Parts: sequence; structure tokens; C-alpha cells
Amino acid sequence: MDESLEQPDAKPPTVSLDGISPEDGDQASDDEGDVVLDWTKLLPSAARPVIPRRGEKEFEPQPGGGSGLQVHVLDRSRNAMFDALRATRTISSKAVSYAIWHPDMARAHVTLARGTLFTSLGHSAPRLVVAADGSKKYHKRLELLPEEALYLVERGTVFCWKETTLDLASVEGMEEVLGPPMSVQQAFSEMIGTEDLTLERYQVYAYLKRLGYVVTRATAPNSLYPMPPPFDLSPFKRKPPSILNRICSIFPLWISKISRMLNGGFNWWKPFRMSRWLLRDKNYGSVFRALRFIPAGHDIPLLPIKREPPAKPSPYQIFFNVHKPTTPYRKSAPCLPDYQIVVINARTTPMPTLRELTDLFDISPEMPPPLPRQRRPLKANTPPASDTKPDTKPAPKPAVKPAPSAPPPSLGRRIVNWIRPPPPGPTMMVRPPHPFMAIKAGKKTVIVAVVDAGSTSFFRFGQGAFSEWAVT
Amino acid sequence: MSLIKPSGRKGPVSGKAAGRRNDNNRIYGCPLPLIFWYPPPSRVRTLLGLGVLDEATRSVWVASKNDSTLLWRRGFFGKGDLSRSEPSWLARQINSRRAGGNRLTSEEMTAKRRAERKQFKIDRARAIAAVAAEAEAVFESEGRVVVPALSGPAIPSAATWKPAPVATEPPDTPVTPQDEAPEDEEPPEDLEHLQLTLPEAFFLLWNLDCLTVADPHTNDLLSIQQIWIAFQAAYLTPPIPVSPKPTPVLQLDNPFLINYIVYHHYRSLGWVVRGGVKFCVDYMLYKRGPVFNHAEFSVVVCPVYEDPADQEASVVGLHNAAPFPWSWLSTINRVNSQVYKTLILTYVTIPARSRVSLDVLNSPACLQHYSVREVTVRRFIPARMRD
Repeated sequence: MDESLEQPDAKPPTVSLDGISPEDGDQASDDEGDVVLDWTKLLPSAARPVIPRRGEKEFEPQPGGGSGLQVHVLDRSRNAMFDALRATRTISSKAVSYAIWHPDMARAHVTLARGTLFTSLGHSAPRLVVAADGSKKYHKRLELLPEEALYLVERGTVFCWKETTLDLASVEGMEEVLGPPMSVQQAFSEMIGTEDLTLERYQVYAYLKRLGYVVTRATAPNSLYPMPPPFDLSPFKRKPPSILNRICSIFPLWISKISRMLNGGFNWWKPFRMSRWLLRDKNYGSVFRALRFIPAGHDIPLLPIKREPPAKPSPYQIFFNVHKPTTPYRKSAPCLPDYQIVVINARTTPMPTLRELTDLFDISPEMPPPLPRQRRPLKANTPPASDTKPDTKPAPKPAVKPAPSAPPPSLGRRIVNWIRPPPPGPTMMVRPPHPFMAIKAGKKTVIVAVVDAGSTSFFRFGQGAFSEWAVT
Repeated sequence: MSLIKPSGRKGPVSGKAAGRRNDNNRIYGCPLPLIFWYPPPSRVRTLLGLGVLDEATRSVWVASKNDSTLLWRRGFFGKGDLSRSEPSWLARQINSRRAGGNRLTSEEMTAKRRAERKQFKIDRARAIAAVAAEAEAVFESEGRVVVPALSGPAIPSAATWKPAPVATEPPDTPVTPQDEAPEDEEPPEDLEHLQLTLPEAFFLLWNLDCLTVADPHTNDLLSIQQIWIAFQAAYLTPPIPVSPKPTPVLQLDNPFLINYIVYHHYRSLGWVVRGGVKFCVDYMLYKRGPVFNHAEFSVVVCPVYEDPADQEASVVGLHNAAPFPWSWLSTINRVNSQVYKTLILTYVTIPARSRVSLDVLNSPACLQHYSVREVTVRRFIPARMRD
């Protein structure tokens, strides 16, 4: 028995039973059970391909190969991979949808749509059709962008024909046929390159679709394409600071202005001086505040403001709008996207310049600062949406502001409040965001998908707000 | 009548590691080398430290032990030239002579931790090899395939592994140069000095007025005007001194200016700013200081020329002025996210020559023409952002 196992084959089911003596039957059936289980995991009866899970890495090779266990395990995994790749991909004729690719329009017309995928794919377009009686009418029909068509063809949902110029109706037996069928390879080679679709963009599209996101174009390819409403680009209004804070923040400014006037302007050879009489700036916080005189922040206009239109448009353009799988999405009236994604080719494009990032920030909405981690449930009067609102949602809506802001109190009330701070009301329950989280998130976000020869990494560039979150 | 009086006293040396945090709060309580006195006393303002400019290393040397201790403890300025950060060479020497000093320096802690880590890896490899050998034996004798586990109860993990109770002494002893003179009771002379980078030194002397800098050749104290020019010139001249010394033309894209602006910006926001070459970046930002927290952010300084023509005409080889290739950004970001730090690109705009004349560089007033912007970089993982 040992001899027969000396050189085990890498394919357990064909191997193991041959050399096993009858008295080892129990053991053998156990073995077989295990092995067969492996096989069934990889290739179920329908022979549908399943991508094997990646295993743990071996620590180090056995000296001299050991008993061949490592080689055996490796071969078994490799064969499983080959089997998974070798399996024939099939689709059921009852579930498949049909489409016709129109190269001149760069659209695929869906002639038969089946399945739920189409609830978030494609858009309807009225097209002139000639009815049988010769009358011309506009009919609404479902059309797919090249990336949508290609994705569906690749995943085996759609069977695609190509529109032909030949008059097949006159050929006998071909009356019903509108064109030749397209293979997946043909679809790739014909659809990529149309309607601004590059291979990188398609790879990002397919990756996000497979994760369940709804992915649409950020710029409408034509007027029929449904677009979300534009972003509200006005600066996000944070909760108004408490009265006490406001009064405290006004005074130092005012005093430092007067003292600066008395001292004859800002002395650049002696930028920081302590006022002699005032006790208020005798702490480290005021020292640090006084040192903040170097221009900083994204609010400063980036010079030069005037510039010639560049010879080549920047590759950093938002290309996809992305909705999370949980976001309710209506194809005809899309809501604001959860993310916007720029796709670039890492081999040809370096990182964005500051100008390119600034241009992208300029068209992105400002996000509310991330909410602090909740330790205990909020009181009922806080909008429940703020509980579940993710910190990365770039679409601020007034309804989900962390706290309802009170109307500004009267002057008398203000003075009273200043002297005796009001008791902590229900809004005090909303804790301020953690400064580190707010800094890391930034005020605006741009997501860049960097495709390097097929492998994609996504980067988030946040518009930093260090100046607003000093640590003293 | 300034109320600032830099104190000259050293804090008492702390005893055990038990009240470590309280000790730290006491020793490192001041975020700047300034002390406020209540009630306001008479006008006292003494110069804290004396430094000597060293152009070859582009740094300012503070030789006095007292000064360097204060600069380190109040704001974490500078680094010991024979130490990793805090000037602790003398303490290490004393520890190594006494064999088992009462309090380990940070370098010794690191050496100890590394030795333990090495031992842990050896132990883990041994355990994994044992499990693998067992699986091999089973496969050889029974033909049963047992995939050897790489983790589990038999294999120590970083959480479960404990150092063996001093069976092997050698890896635990700190790796310090041993002087073969154990007999002399005389404490060794302190050969270490504190090195301040030029931005650090200028921050201290310009804003807080608690440092003076002497000329290395004449030992005369330099005026602030002279220092401003000398610090810029230190970055424009080749590090090897030549005679006669040329007087360089000041440049708007001087690395000293760029680095100073970034340093000052984050210092003024309350961060403790230290070098970050260990993590492929220019600066690390600590929330109170390295003894309290790990650094939270790592900063890459990216200068941006307002006028691209200035960049082409520049005589200063400025780092990172061109956008990174993606591979380099991924590299830096990978290194920094591995150690739980967020990468920050800090863009400093350099005013255009057409807008600003070079004469402004004769005074720090030129800093108002520069501006700082941050961009945070994080990876976005779609698979985890679906909710």
C-alpha cells in the first residue's frame, strides 16, 4: 500500500481507490467522501464554474520536498483552478435576453428584456420605426450604452446581434433575422472605444456592477439619458456655534485688530508678541492662534485664475455616478449619486496636479463632517436618518443634518446666555465629530479609480480641513 | 512687559514605570518652551538656548544639556545626534555600565522589543514546522491529506506568545556599544548635542524668541536678519564648503521656505511636527507628542509652482514638484496605512516670479505670498462601502 501511495496522483478521485485494500474500506470511503466533497464544491452537477477560494500561504517548502504533501496540495489546487476555468459557461434559453448592437449609434437595442437587472440598466429612447403598413411612428425602446451591453454579454445575460446593412428580409429563411450574432470577443473589440468607453472604464464599471452598485454616466451621452438633479454646491452650513463660543470668538479678533493698529501693522520681523495687560492670551491656545498667519486652506483662490484652455483636456473628469446597492434607485428619475468616480489609466497618467484636484473639488458637493460613533441611542427628537447616515455620503440633504438649529435668540437673550450659559438642551446630545475623523474625511471627496493594466485601486482624495480642526 | 519666562530648571527624574503617564503629563506638559507666570511678574525675558549653525548638515546644534532637555521636553524640538530622537546617549551609556539601569531609554526598549519579536518568529516557525512535519508523516504513512494549519492552538500568535522566562539571556540585552571600562565609577562625559533642523530653529527664534544662533566661524551671535538670509543660503550652497564662499541669489522655491511654511503651519495648529523619513514622507504629525500618542498623519510636502515657466527655469532641484506616478503614491500609502497613519499631501504654492519680485525674500514678509492646502489620501474599497 505504501508503494502505491509513494507517488500520489494530484487527482484524488482517480487515484485513491485503486491501491486500497479491502480492509481499509472505511478509511477509504472517508477519504473518498472528503475528496468528492471537494469536487462537488468546485464543480456542482450543473458544471457551473465556481471560483475557488484562495487558501493560506504555505510557510516554507519542506527540505527535499518531504513526503510530497506540499506538491500534492499545490497540484490539487491548481487542478481545481483549471477545472473551474475549463467548465463550459451556459445560459438558459428561458432566461436570456436579446439585443441588437447598432454601431452607428453606439447603442444596443434590447428586443427582449428578462430579469431584474434591467431595473437599473439602460434607458428608454424614442426611435422612429416604420410599421408594417408603412406609417412612421416614434416608439420608445430600451437602449443600452456600450458598457451596459458589454457587461450583460460578458456575464451571459444577453445574446447580442449586430445590426447589418444587408437586406436579409429578401433572403429566404432569414426574414426574421436582423443581423449576425456577436461573440463575447467581438463585443469587446467593437464596443470598447465607442461613446468614450475605454477598457479601463469598462473594467471599473464591471467591477462595481458585480458588487451590486448602480453605475451610470456622470455626463449624459445624449439628451435622452436620464440625469440626477445637480448637486447643491453651496458650502455646507454647520450647526451654528453656541452663543458663548460666538462671543468668545469675536473678542480676540477685535482686540488683536486694535492692538495691531496701535502697534502699526504686522511686524514680519516679530510676528508674535504678547499683549502686556490682557490676561486673555496667557495660554498656549492663544499663542498657537496668534501664530496662524500663513495663508492656508482651499478657500484661497489658486493662482493664476486666468489660464489658457489647455491643449489637451485633463484626463481627470468624473465619469461614473455610483449609487450604493441599498440606495433606492429609479431609472427614469435617478437620485443624487452616492459616489462619483474618475477613471484613469495608471500607465499613461500621473497623479492629479493640485489644479486638477481643485477643479474636481469645485464641482463636488461638500459633505457634512462625519458623525461621532454613537455610544448610546439618541433621543427621539433627533432625525433617525442621522443615526444610520454613512460618513461618506457626498450628498448633503437638509433633512439629515445632525441637529436641528434653533432660531437665533434675541440680543437680550444672548447677553443672558453669555452671562449664564443655558442648560444643556437636547441638541447637546449630538457630540461634535472627532477631529481626526473630520480631518481624514475632508470636506469634499474625489474618488479616482486607477487602473494599472487590469488591476484597479481606488483612491479617495479629501479636501483637507486641518485649519478648521486645530488640536489645541 | 512680557510674561514669558523660560524656566531653566530640569524636571526631576521619574522613578518607576508605574506612574508613567502622570510623569509624562508633568514632564512634557508644556507644548512650547514658554512658561506663563501668574500673577504677572516684572518683565522677564531670557533667551533660552544658544545654538550654532552648522551649514554642512543644515542644522543648528544646541550643545548645552540643559537647553537641549528643555527643547525636547517642551514641544519635542530637535533630536540628539547620537540618538533616535530624545538625546539619551548618556543615559544609555550609564545603563550599559550599570547593567540593568532603572529606566530604559526608548532605544533600549526598541532593541528589547525587537529581540522578543525575533524570538517569537523563531518560535512560531518552529511550531509551524512541527505541525507540517506531522502532516507529512500522516501523508507518508496513511496517505491522508491534512493541510497543515498556519494558525491554531499549537502555534503561537502575536497575542498569545510570551517571552520565555530568561532561558536565553543574549537577545534580551540591548544592543548598545559596550565600552570595556566597567571599573571607572566616573559618569562618562556627555558627547551628545541636540540638532535642530533649520525650520525648527527658525520657528523657535522667530516666533518664540527663545533661541539665539551663533556664527560657526566667529562665534558671534547672528541677528534675525542675518539668520533669515543664512538659513536660506544654507539650502542654496553645496554642502561642501568652498572658499571663497559664494553669496547665492535667493530663490522663491528655496526648500527652506517650503519646509518652513509647512512646519509653521502645522505647529501653529497645535501639532507636534517631526521628521518622517522612516515612512517615506517629509513630516509626521503627533497630537501632543511622541511620548503620548502614535503619529496620526504623515505629510508629504508637494511644492506647486504658480507659473510652470518658473519650474523650468528653476536652479533649485525641488523634491516632489512634479506629480507622483501612481506606483509611488501606492507605495507611500501602503507603507503608511500599514502603520495606521493617514497620508496627507500638503501643497505649497510658490508665487510666480512675474507677480513677486525676489526682493521680498529679504524678509519673512515673503511668506504671505505662499499658501498651504492639504489633500488627504485614503484608499476607497468598494466592497466595503456598499453598506
